[in-house]
Order: sequence, then C-alpha cells, then structure tokens
Amino acid sequence: MAAPETTNYCAGKKTNYKKTSLKKMIDQLPALIIVAPLLGAFLTPIIGWRYQHLCHPWTLLILTIPLYSAVGALLKVIRSGPFGYNLGGWAPPWGIEYRIDYLSAIMLVLIAAIGLLAAVNARPAGKTEFKGKEAQLYTLFLLQITGLLGIVITGDLFNIFVFLEITSLSGYGLIAHGEEGAPMATFNYIIIGTIGASFYLLGVGYLYMATGSLNIADLATLLPALYHSKIILVGFAFFTTGVAIKMGLFPLHIWMPDAYTTAPNSVSTLIAPLMTKVAAYLLIRILFTLFAPHFALSVIPLATILGWMAMIAIIVGGVKALAQTDIKRMVAYIMVAEVGYIVMGISVMNRAGLTGAILHIINDAWMIFCLFLTIGAISYRGHGREIYHFQNLSKKMPLTMAAFVIAALSMCGIPPACGFFSKWYLIMGMITAKQWIFAATLLCSSLINAVLFFRVIEKAYLAPPESMGHGHEDHEAENIERKDAPLSMMIPIIISALAILLLGLFSGKIIDVVIQHAVPAIF
Amino acid sequence: MRKWFKPISLATVILTGMLLIYGIHDMPSWGDPNSPANRHISPRYITEATRKTATPNIVSAVLGDYRSYDTLGESAVIFTASISCLFLLRRIRRQGNHDD
Amino acid sequence: MTEYILAKYNFWIYVVLMMIGLYAMMGKRNLVKKLIGMNIFQTSIILLFVSAGVKKGGATVPILRHSDYGPEHVEHLIRVADYLNPLPHVLMLTAIVVSIATTGVALATLILIYKRYNTLEEDEIMAIRKDIRSYKTPRILRSKD
Repeated sequence: MAAPETTNYCAGKKTNYKKTSLKKMIDQLPALIIVAPLLGAFLTPIIGWRYQHLCHPWTLLILTIPLYSAVGALLKVIRSGPFGYNLGGWAPPWGIEYRIDYLSAIMLVLIAAIGLLAAVNARPAGKTEFKGKEAQLYTLFLLQITGLLGIVITGDLFNIFVFLEITSLSGYGLIAHGEEGAPMATFNYIIIGTIGASFYLLGVGYLYMATGSLNIADLATLLPALYHSKIILVGFAFFTTGVAIKMGLFPLHIWMPDAYTTAPNSVSTLIAPLMTKVAAYLLIRILFTLFAPHFALSVIPLATILGWMAMIAIIVGGVKALAQTDIKRMVAYIMVAEVGYIVMGISVMNRAGLTGAILHIINDAWMIFCLFLTIGAISYRGHGREIYHFQNLSKKMPLTMAAFVIAALSMCGIPPACGFFSKWYLIMGMITAKQWIFAATLLCSSLINAVLFFRVIEKAYLAPPESMGHGHEDHEAENIERKDAPLSMMIPIIISALAILLLGLFSGKIIDVVIQHAVPAIF
Repeated sequence: MRKWFKPISLATVILTGMLLIYGIHDMPSWGDPNSPANRHISPRYITEATRKTATPNIVSAVLGDYRSYDTLGESAVIFTASISCLFLLRRIRRQGNHDD
Repeated sequence: MTEYILAKYNFWIYVVLMMIGLYAMMGKRNLVKKLIGMNIFQTSIILLFVSAGVKKGGATVPILRHSDYGPEHVEHLIRVADYLNPLPHVLMLTAIVVSIATTGVALATLILIYKRYNTLEEDEIMAIRKDIRSYKTPRILRSKD
C-alpha cells in the first residue's frame, strides 16, 4: 500500500533526484518506527507545559507514524523477505541492528495499531481521571509503545533489555495511578518484574561470556557448537524464566491479575493486551531464532516442562476466573489461561502448534483489547464491574455490549470470530504431537470460557428488567436511559470488534502470507 | 499460607543458587585474556574505535557511537522514570492540599 | 578444591550476593527491605558483567595511551591484551542507569503506599486492605481515633 503511493508521488515530481532521495527516505522507515514515538514522548511534556488540550491530538499524530512505517515494513517483508537496518551504520555484531522478519513485522503492526487505538480510547479518561496530568499520561503512553516496538524490532539481546525496562518503567508508573490497591500491586509488579528483567540480563551475560557476542543472528551461528556447555544451559534457563515472568506464565503470574485489575481502565487497555504478547514473542525468538528448535526439545526437556506449565496455567486461570465476580479481574485471570494457550502451542514444537501460537498472539491481543475497552466504557458510564451490575446493560449500552459479545464469542471459539481459528490450529498441533491431554485441556478451557461469558451475557441480555422484581410500573422499564460510550471510546471498540471478525475471516490469508514464513523452515 | 512463605522463598533461592553454581563449572576462569568474551568482538573496538571515532577513551567511543542506540534507550529510561515519578507523586500534593 | 574456588572467585561472590538479594526480595515482609534486596540483586549482576571483561597480565583501563594513537594511525601496533574489554563496561553503564531508574519508581510507589496505609510492613498492609474490602473501618483510622 505504501510503496505504490510513494512511487506515484515520485512520478508526479518527475525528478530523478527526488526519486532517489525518497527511496532513501523509505530505507529509513524502520528507524522512524522507534524514533517517532520516542521523540514524540520527549516533546509531549513541553507541549503540555502550556497547552494541555493539545497533548491528545499530538499523541495520535505521533502514533500514526509508527503505524504507517510498520505497515510499510510488513509490506516490504512480504515483497522482498526479511531485512536489517544498521543503526549508525555500524556492521551488526559491533553495532546494533534492527532485524525485521515476518514475525516481528506483524507484531509491529499489531502493537502500533493497538497502541494508536488505546491512545484514542484514553481521551475521556485524560479529561476526567487524569485531569491536569494529561501530558505525563500521554508521555508514558508513548514511551510504553516505544518500548514494546523496540523489543520487537531490535536484533540485539542487550537492546531488548533496555527497551524491556522502558516498557516496564512506564507500565509501573501508569499502573500505580489506579484504584485503591494499585500502588501495592505495582510494588509487587516492580519486584517480580525486576527479577524477570534481571534474569533476562543474567541470561544475556552468560551467553556473552560463552560466545562474546550480543547480536541474535551472530549468536545463532555461534551457539550450536556450545549446546552442551553448562553456561549455555544455565543462561537458557534464566532467559526462559525471565521471559516467563514478564509473560505471566503460571507459577510466575502472581503479579498479573492484581496489576491489571487495579490499573486505570485506559491503562490496562494498553498494557494488558500487549505486554504478555510481546513477552510471548520474545519466548518464540529465544526458542526458535536464538537457539535452534531442537535445543529446547532434545538437549534439555524444556518443551515438555513448558507444556505442562501451560496446561496448569490454563486450568488455574479458568478456575480462578470462574471464582471472580469482578469482571475486570475475571478477564485478568482469563489472560493467565490465554498465556497458557500460546505457550502450549509453542511447546509442542510442530508447524501447526506454532502457527496456532503466533495466530493466537495476534487474535488474543485483539480479544483482550476489546474486552478491556468495553469494560472501560462501561465503567466510564458509571456502571459497576461486578457481574450483577450488568443487568440489562444491553439496553443501556447496546453497541458496547455487542462488541463485548463478539469478543466473548471469540474467546469461546465460535467460528466466525478469530478465536476459533487459532484454537483450531493449536488443537491440530496437539493432535500432531499426540498430546491428547493438552488437546482435552484446550477443549475444556473453551467450555469454561463459554460458562464464564454466558453468565455475563445472560445478565446483560436475558435478565428481566429491574423493575419487574420490585413491582414498579412497566413504563419505568422502557425508560431505561440509553447512553452508549462516548465517541472516542466507541471508535476503538467498533474497530476492535470488526478486527476480531475480520481476523477470523481472513485468518487463512494471514497464515499464507505471513505466519507460515514466520515458522522455522525445519518444521 | 504466610507460614510457608519463608521456606518457599528460601527453597527458590537455594535452587537458583545451585543452578548458578552449576553454570560456574564451564565458565572461563577469571581474567583469562583468551576467554570468548575478550576474543570475539571486543578486540575490534580496541583497535579501530579510536581511528573511527577520534576518541581515545574506548568505553566512550562504544557508548556514544557503536552502541549509541543503547545510550538513547538509556536516556529514555531515565526520562521514563522521571515522568513516572512526576505522574505518581503530583497527586499526593493535591490530596495533601485537600486535607488541609 | 580451594584452587578451583579461587580461580573463579568472582563468580562465587556474585552467586552469594545474588542469593542474598533474591532472598530479601522474596522472603522479607518489609517493603523497603525488599527494595534493598532488589538493589543487591542488580549489583551482583553488574559485578558479573564487569568481571567478564577483566584481563590478567598487565591490561589497563580501556583508554588508549598516547603512544598508541596519534596523527599517524598505528592500529596494528595496539596490543589488544593491553586494554580491558570495554563492552561489559558499556553495557553496565546502561544497566546501572536502569537500576537507578527502577529504584526511583519503586520509591515513588513506596511513598504512595505509605501515604495510603501509613505503614510499609506488607502484613499490616494486607490486613488494612482486607478491612477496606469488607467495609470495616481500616486499622489506621481506628488507631487514630
């Protein structure tokens, strides 16, 4: 899409010089993905110093640049395969490089799109909840998105750590601004998150000591000779543990439900769908790009361990979610189970499983995003988050509830929505690997999700009008005030609901064009 | 639950420590000039950094040029932390004013 | 055995420091102690990295001597073994900054926690939060009355 447009523009100018300079500019697009939101974040407090109301449009303007560049990068990858970008012109093992392949390109588009929509969604909250602090809010939003994009785009292990910390620090700040228990949840998140990041750094250190390199592509060629070295084994263990903490995989998930429940709604909309997915991306990178796939399968039985942990995560997440009455906390526990899905898909180490895992990273980001958006909109209109507060909500907020239902159906795996397709591939992967217990767990979990969401949908759609029980006159039931979410919340809700349906309809195409190339060729 | 907290954390710590000690066996010994870390990419920094960046201090050359992108990230980390603190602590002052 | 330990004593020191830090982060119930544990933990990793860059046998800080640089580039004369490995130092400068930044944000949340619950003991905070959730008068307010 980006390329024809620019060539047309060149043809209009008709000067050869312009053509080459534009071509050069397009070569620099990958740099813009990070530089634009980072510089935007630096400038936001300056703008907010005098003109608080300009911060939101400014943020949106800035966030369109990474989205545009990310789409351009994805198209370039589809057209001509993975490419690198050397920062500062230093050759890779000495300098730092961006490495954009199929997987990172589609993750970039995902992060940029969800980031932009989450920033649109933050507008009403910025006007009320964060009154007078909009500049800081949007700065942290931009930094969060910069960090996430930076983790995905870079090809250097230490650089990943730096951007992981940018993401975490902005996340801590945003989450701690939430409701009553937020500072305590944040402090736990800081402690556990720092353990995770430090373990990751320790893994980098061990790999550095064994090989002397920090570049992922360089390490991938150096490591196979050392697969039986104990340093590599320990480094690998710390890598995986660190990433699992950031991802919220089962025994290490303790920080996640609290942090995402107590965070402000507009913030959990941004962080919850993306942070776990980017960590899952990192796990795929480590298992399949940094190390050869057979390392985690045969040298150490990590794949098996991950598989069983994922299974427990799915069960514990589902059961814990069933026990919740607060719907935001329920979604947070569902996320624990969803992380289990992704890890389970990775752990079976075959083509179908990994395709399912990558597809589920994308689909689940949109589903969780849509759920948090609707919950945010419902809270914004003054309705509570307990399930009984959902009584007759379908009449009060019909569009929001419709989006909620679409996301819920997708979570349960009902065909037109995207959740079905990723679960289909995941189950195919389990069957190919002959892991019948895992396949059964996946099916059970879909049933649990159906129960979970049916409780809410039943309250919202099928419950009798509130007045009936109290014996009031009937006209009061008709007078239920219909007040849907404000426009800036409605747009992201509608787009995310549409995205869930479209991702479902076009999942075959997405797999053909992108994901099948992202899966390592050995499978 | 609380009773089990310390034993569990102690067990985790000892497990981690054992894993680390297990890794020590294959570590290059301390100060070995031929360890992989000192052999693979760092020699080129030492030999060519001064010519390419005109800085005799190699650490500065690497920090400010070869890996300047990391340094950009580093300054962004500081910026993030300061904005986070500002974002969190400004509310307290306002609440304090309300209480007065 | 002693020789074996002494040959890699930097690793042993870092392992011990790291275990202390990790235990403080997980086992202690006071939030400030947890934070101190976090700092010890991060410092141990910094020690590990820096010790990876050491070269025995007369290597000095990675700043070129005057004899090694000048108008005519004498690149081939620079002996790599004369200078310490600069890369771990560079990485750790970044890691130190990250550790300071994390500590700062953690202290900011601690201030929030202290203002809210008037204590930094995790057990007491849990008790207060339980009171709040069950709509009782929180303990801090009760003691004030």
